[in-house]
Amino acid sequence: MHILDLAGVPAGYVGRPVLQDIHLRIETGERIAIVGESGAGKTTLLRLIREHCTAPTAIIPQDLGLVQALSVFHNVYMGQLHNRSTLHNLRTLFWPAVRDVDAVRSVLTPLRLPDEIFSAVRRLSGGQQQRTAVARALFNDAPVLIGDEPVSAVDDHQAREVLSLASTQKETVIVALHDRALALSFADRIIGLKDGKVALDTLTAGLQPGDLDGLYKS
Amino acid sequence: MSAAARLYRRSPLARTLFSFFTVALVFLIFADLEIATVDPWDEFGRLLTGIVTPDFFATENLISALVNTLAFAFLGVAFGVGFGFLLALGFHSRAVRTFCVVVRAVHELFWALIFLQLFGLSPLTGILAIGIPYAGIVAKVFAEILEEADGRAVDAAPSGASRLSTLLFVRLPDVWSHFRTYALYRLECGLRSSAVLGFVGLPTLGFHLETAFRQGRYSEVSALLILFYVIIASQRLWARRQLVPVYLIGAALVLPWATHISGANITRFLTIDIVPFPLRNGDGISGLIDWLWLLISTQALPGSIATIQLTMIALVATGFLSALMFPFISPQMFGRPVRGISHFALVVIRSTPEYILAFVFLQLWGPSMLPAIVALALHNGAIIGHLIGRHTETLALRADAPTGLNRYAYELLPRVYRNLLALLFYRWEVIMRETAILGILGIATLGFYVDSAFAELRFDRAIFLIALTAVLNIAIDVTSRRVRAYLRLRTTLEGR
Amino acid sequence: MHIRVIGIVLAAFVFFAAPFNAISANAQDSFVFTAIPDQDETRLRTRFEKVARYLSETLEIDVQYVPVKSYAAAVTAFRNDQVQLAWFGGLSGVQARRAVEGSEALAQGAEDQEFVTYFIAHASTGLTESPDFPKSIAGKTFTFGSKGSTSGRLMPEFHVRNHFGKSPDDVFSRVGFSGDHSRTIALVQSGAFEVGAVNFAVWENELRDGRIDPEKVRIIWRTPTYPDYQWSIRGDVNRKFGPEFVERVRTALLAIDDPELLKAFPRSRFIPATNEDYTPILRVGKDIGLID
Repeated sequence: MHILDLAGVPAGYVGRPVLQDIHLRIETGERIAIVGESGAGKTTLLRLIREHCTAPTAIIPQDLGLVQALSVFHNVYMGQLHNRSTLHNLRTLFWPAVRDVDAVRSVLTPLRLPDEIFSAVRRLSGGQQQRTAVARALFNDAPVLIGDEPVSAVDDHQAREVLSLASTQKETVIVALHDRALALSFADRIIGLKDGKVALDTLTAGLQPGDLDGLYKS
Repeated sequence: MSAAARLYRRSPLARTLFSFFTVALVFLIFADLEIATVDPWDEFGRLLTGIVTPDFFATENLISALVNTLAFAFLGVAFGVGFGFLLALGFHSRAVRTFCVVVRAVHELFWALIFLQLFGLSPLTGILAIGIPYAGIVAKVFAEILEEADGRAVDAAPSGASRLSTLLFVRLPDVWSHFRTYALYRLECGLRSSAVLGFVGLPTLGFHLETAFRQGRYSEVSALLILFYVIIASQRLWARRQLVPVYLIGAALVLPWATHISGANITRFLTIDIVPFPLRNGDGISGLIDWLWLLISTQALPGSIATIQLTMIALVATGFLSALMFPFISPQMFGRPVRGISHFALVVIRSTPEYILAFVFLQLWGPSMLPAIVALALHNGAIIGHLIGRHTETLALRADAPTGLNRYAYELLPRVYRNLLALLFYRWEVIMRETAILGILGIATLGFYVDSAFAELRFDRAIFLIALTAVLNIAIDVTSRRVRAYLRLRTTLEGR
Repeated sequence: MHIRVIGIVLAAFVFFAAPFNAISANAQDSFVFTAIPDQDETRLRTRFEKVARYLSETLEIDVQYVPVKSYAAAVTAFRNDQVQLAWFGGLSGVQARRAVEGSEALAQGAEDQEFVTYFIAHASTGLTESPDFPKSIAGKTFTFGSKGSTSGRLMPEFHVRNHFGKSPDDVFSRVGFSGDHSRTIALVQSGAFEVGAVNFAVWENELRDGRIDPEKVRIIWRTPTYPDYQWSIRGDVNRKFGPEFVERVRTALLAIDDPELLKAFPRSRFIPATNEDYTPILRVGKDIGLID
């Protein structure tokens, strides 16, 4: 079953590179890494995918989209805002229910953040903030995860941990990554962008990091 | 410990807000909020009818009132900005800073009441009543701008250069545009102040507005208010740099300068009238103590308590109202039609001086604290709501951010509430100053007793009570600065 | 392009400025008077400018009227020599003459020798008129007129203190100052206050003009009589405007017989008055602590 079927859709946003002639079909259950030079159009392609995806999506934007003044708990809880009554949400701002706190903590524990649950996001390090954004997307029950460089601020070991966690919790995962080795080890399909075009779209099996060199200018 | 308690413990902000909220709530329980009028909505209906049927020909000498309003504002603000600029240059001196604190702690209406005694209905009264307190405010803001300006250029200037040339060549050019923007904003305030001065007898729009309101001639009220809004709203069109000298000369020409000012009166006021009665009468220190005790126990104390009470309730109400207002002009929340209407409503509310708003509600609801609270919260809430609403235009939300009330509560409010609080605490002192003055309208704050003292021609009492409002105001100013420093809240130039 | 704008603005200013300067240029030599704003201020200026014209013709000098916003402002203007003649109430007249040495009361309305304050009440209170002081007003809401008014403040407060032995704040559940007599009537008629004290001349005037609804508001008590409004003049005008000027002004005021002019006050005619006529007011003022 596919969740996306693009046939030659042009996409251009103000101030963003224009993608040309995109033909893309994504099936449920795929692990896709999007690679390419910065400015190649990765963010634009993710946006296009999100807009045309037929299943609900949870996103991790490049700028994370966290509310700095709120606690980690509240930022993560936001992943479920749409499933709770507005009244319950308003109450949670001031007086969180134990049930919700426990649920959020269980998402934070594998991300090694449970102790920071009540810290304001603005007090966290860059890596911790990024993991908070990941937690928010994981707490969201949408089956599709779309992440734009979701592990750029954590170390290699943690990055693998986070991505495998995402893979076990979401049906479909689509992430833009700049680390080629990481992309190959995590994904089962690679989409390579160059100058606004899909230059590579292949299964990962047997691919070596060197095979991606063509996407990057020397 | 519960999750909520842990959140609370971690946040000094939450604790501070909780204390303010509690204080306001306790004051509110003891506040007199009765609607004294039997049928307030009947009167309100007549007001609305009047508002939609403005009568521009009902007011005698309307044009002269209009011209006077402009002229007092121009000359008063020019005086305030000029004098304030000079004071800002000497702001490193403690004496200058103290002078500024004191003059701006006294409301322009109180200054007007004092100058009326000195110069009578002379143009000098209006110009100084606006100019003196404005000088204190302008000096403070200009000094802050100079301080925050880029210091690198100053460091790069040749070390032998004189202070004046460094100022003219290095520091001023950098901050000049800020000064100009602020002076223009002050002109808008000056127009409001000038109109309000009519309430105590100067020949501006407020003079006729007060009469028309008091006598329920709402069509005339409507016409006067419309003229007032047109002047304020069109300020951008006519307030041009090149025309400033023309306006100033014109203003100086139209005002009736020939009014007789007697030096003997000024001397008498300063050396006899304001000396406490028992001293004048030779009753000695014990007489003075009796006089003071009577004044403090029957007027100063109840007046101060009511002033603080009203200030705190109005402050918290302003906070709530601004949080309620800003989403209506935020592109993150509403589309163009709603925003357009809301912008218009906010402009009207914040262009109307709280003094006039309170006056309207007093006519409708009778004399309790309710009209004052509503007026203060509406006016200040609209000012803060406007600034915060504009601020939300710069926020970038993530693509899957929630909508509706969830968006407001989780995405917008948490991002702006520190700015909102910074503005709110910045206006604390402004609210206190206005609270005192609302007493003139019959609410039992200090202004009520000041007005009574002037009515009884007891200038010694009047000056004592005005000095007390200044002390209260300075205390609030200091407290507000401490609270903002403790919570690390900062205000931008726009909010001052 | 800006030159044209500047030209237009300048022209507009001069256009408006000209009449002002015409007035103000000779303000110094004019004889200026004012009147306390005690009632309906509609066309106040028009009404008193007629009086100014009359005085100007009779005295053969330039006479001007300046409007003021409050009783205190009238006294201050008199004291500061910005007006030389004023139509004061009993209390404001006493205050003004105490502040300016040599000043004197010139004339009063025929009604002012025996002036009366009416206590009025909203119909819902169930109070009716009685010859005795209505003690049952205790605990009700009460509005005076202006803080500086004789008929709207001084005398009613005197009677309230006299009969209750307490200050009005302690007698009534709420005390207000309406600002003027017309407003006092309007406030009691609308029920904003249950009881009020009002100048009888203004009451009768508004009753005649049909602005009072007897179904809603009625008189419940009439005070004993006392002296009230008067024209007062500064003592130094003879030096400025020629010998016998005080007497000439008095004669001019007493000679007013045009009903249209008299309606501005509103009085039937003017009769001579002296400072001594107002000794009772001074006594009451000191008694209730309004005058030191």
